[in-house]
Amino acid sequence: MSETPVLDDRQKQQRYESLVDALYQDVYRYAYWLCKNGALAEDLVQETFLRAWRSLDSLQNDKAAKAWLFTILRRENARLYERYRPDLVDIEDQSLMDSVDNEPDQRMDRKLLHDAIASLEKDYREPLLLQVIGGFSGKEIAEILDLNNNTVMTRLFRARGKLKHVFFPDGDPDAGLDEPPDE
Amino acid sequence: MDDLEFRRRAFANPHDQDPEFLAAAAASPERSRVLSQLQVLDERVSKAARSVPVPKDLAARLKAREVPAHKPEKTSMRRYFAVAASLIVAIGLILSPGLITARPSAADMKFHDDVIGHVYREIARYSPGLDDISLNQINSVLEETGGHLRDDDQIKQMHFKFANGCSIAQNSKGAHIVLDGSRGAVSVIVVHNSPVTTKFDVNDSRFAGKIIPFGEGNLIIVGEKDEPLDVYENMIESAFEWSR
Repeated sequence: MSETPVLDDRQKQQRYESLVDALYQDVYRYAYWLCKNGALAEDLVQETFLRAWRSLDSLQNDKAAKAWLFTILRRENARLYERYRPDLVDIEDQSLMDSVDNEPDQRMDRKLLHDAIASLEKDYREPLLLQVIGGFSGKEIAEILDLNNNTVMTRLFRARGKLKHVFFPDGDPDAGLDEPPDE
Repeated sequence: MDDLEFRRRAFANPHDQDPEFLAAAAASPERSRVLSQLQVLDERVSKAARSVPVPKDLAARLKAREVPAHKPEKTSMRRYFAVAASLIVAIGLILSPGLITARPSAADMKFHDDVIGHVYREIARYSPGLDDISLNQINSVLEETGGHLRDDDQIKQMHFKFANGCSIAQNSKGAHIVLDGSRGAVSVIVVHNSPVTTKFDVNDSRFAGKIIPFGEGNLIIVGEKDEPLDVYENMIESAFEWSR
């Protein structure tokens, strides 16, 4: 029997492990913000990578792997969790307390930010996190979310407008929110 | 670029490196101030979003392609047992085609999805730490479905936490009872009519269970994966009586 299939399997495993190493942290963090719960996020990431493994051959270019994984993640979240679990669960405070900041002021600041991000409506939270965690461009976000580019720009605009209002309430009263562009 | 367009682009991406945008920002101190404030905010947001701690062994588990579950990790030995068990079942099915039961219909699968959805919706109502409820409380709910549990020895040993009417089956009152299992909450749902006539398993990424034709109705048992559901199935089947 030819040894090629064994070699292929080994190559596939190596390729898969490289993807895991490069991307699992970003994928987990995005999952965490999607479902706001560590245990669910972990399940979701495992489901995502299992799916990715099964269809790894369909990924032509590893540079596209991040957007591909985030798209799988969103789909798995919708399929497995979202339909059964309304967006009710508050972000877990414990994980924030475990985070890297030691100074109470920094922790409080981070807690405020976490709460502010978590309280954004999903339509605004998702593109913002794709941008700041995933590092995706507006065009890539539009493809992942299956929206047009203008809608993504508007949602990013509004997401930052809301956060800016929380953190600089007196700093810039004309933050532009009076004239939101249409989606 | 007018102010509105500038603000739109600055809020959408404060790190936009397009020369036209950068020139627009430099054209006015007010624009520079707004942009720099947004960049500071973005730094903080990015840092906060990335500060979520990632489980330390997650990469290894992903590489091992473990199936997700809310439970202690599977050891490799257990995986071998699982493979061996699957082989035995497969061989058994090949050798005994007469034992293969009918596949669930589309309506059965819809009921399966309804059951899973119902368990996820209800789970917030019976969080850990609830006090036990009495058999009388359970039976007052079960009475609505037309049945009751006898007070036998096995039932006495169980810790029931929750009992409520349940509308999982159309046109029939159901009862949803929750007891403490070995892995977490176990849902026992009894409905009086029979949405399904074939016994089949309930499965999703978190829960496992079974839907069982049960006298005049159905018995549904759902728990976390790895919960020994047969124990509860036998217990309920031996203690439950339809009274009408």
